[in-house]
Amino acid sequence: MTSRLDRWADPPLLVLASLADEPKHGYAITQDVAESMGVTLGAGTLYAVISRLEAQGLIEPLDAVDRRRPYRITAAGAEALAQQSSRMSSVASLAQARLRSRLGTAGA
Amino acid sequence: MGAPPVLRPGSARLARAALRLYPPAWRARYGAEVLALLDDTGGGVPAALGLAWRALPAWIWPPRQLHDQDARMRASLGTVLLSGAMLAGVDLVFAQLTQFQGFRAHGSPVVIGSYAIFDAAMAVCALAAAGGGLPLWLVMLRRARREHRARETAYLMLPVVAPAAYLATVAAVARVLGGPDGVSAGVFFAVTLLGFGAAAAACAGPVLAMRRLRPRGPAVQLAVRAAGVATAAIVVAAAASATALTGLCLWARGFAGYHSGAVLSGYLAVVAGLAMTATVSARRGSRAARSR
Repeated sequence: MTSRLDRWADPPLLVLASLADEPKHGYAITQDVAESMGVTLGAGTLYAVISRLEAQGLIEPLDAVDRRRPYRITAAGAEALAQQSSRMSSVASLAQARLRSRLGTAGA
Repeated sequence: MGAPPVLRPGSARLARAALRLYPPAWRARYGAEVLALLDDTGGGVPAALGLAWRALPAWIWPPRQLHDQDARMRASLGTVLLSGAMLAGVDLVFAQLTQFQGFRAHGSPVVIGSYAIFDAAMAVCALAAAGGGLPLWLVMLRRARREHRARETAYLMLPVVAPAAYLATVAAVARVLGGPDGVSAGVFFAVTLLGFGAAAAACAGPVLAMRRLRPRGPAVQLAVRAAGVATAAIVVAAAASATALTGLCLWARGFAGYHSGAVLSGYLAVVAGLAMTATVSARRGSRAARSR
């Protein structure tokens, strides 16, 4: 199901998360993001994100194979992803706790 | 991985057209990959439109890793020079049609003050362009002469030759076609167009010379800093002329009745566009100069 909040999804974070386990090229990234995170990244969005992440040193290009160039997350990218994931995890825990409390109050 | 090369000829044409909207450096670096991705995903009109839409930020915020910093500075100098010259031309026409014809909105300090700010800002712009551009121009001219590069020398002489030829033409036209009330509207229009042509030629000369001679070093950095100052003055001049124009429309009945709204809106759009172009380009040039 497509969430109404999908448009707020942070494409750089999705790309970093996709590259966290292994290098991938553009098509593999879009497939992975669509299958595992439920967000469709267009070619324009994906390469805008890739060029930014590359400029910031968070990912790096590997040798291209038949026009398809894989990208690998760098140490700085992994650190940025870990920090952001931790922050999001805290937000998710807080949101769930408060929703539980709200539902509990409403049910009482 | 499956291998479905399903980009139909129509979609491929659309995708290539969308890619052509991107800066050349971006296209050279990512173009083949984007086409490969569209091959894999099938492309289509929505994908091409999404790609085209993303070209705008690629121009406004070009990825730093794609640019040679010296080339960035030279491109910035050329853009600021052309924008400044065109804005000066547009504003001279504005001045001709307002200040010199007596539209002053008597009793409006806003309009009178805007005229003064506009004049001062354009003077600062001209001083910055001369102070920052002259050393670079001399460096390039010396090199072109030392290396016997006739074409580059001719390009570098255009900022002197084009305005001189223009002024001589205007003087001749005024003598031959001018009457007690000046020249006719048609002649004024032709002379104005010729002025823009001369300004464009005067700016294009150094820009072409820079592209061929590829100067580097302190003279380029000084010119970039001066371009930053000139751009700030351009923005102030544009704001002042927009304020003066708005004030005239509000408070000078003769002016508002004499000029059409479409022309005035077009003027404001051109002024805003030129000021924005100069600002974006000067910012990029300054960033490139700082990173040297």
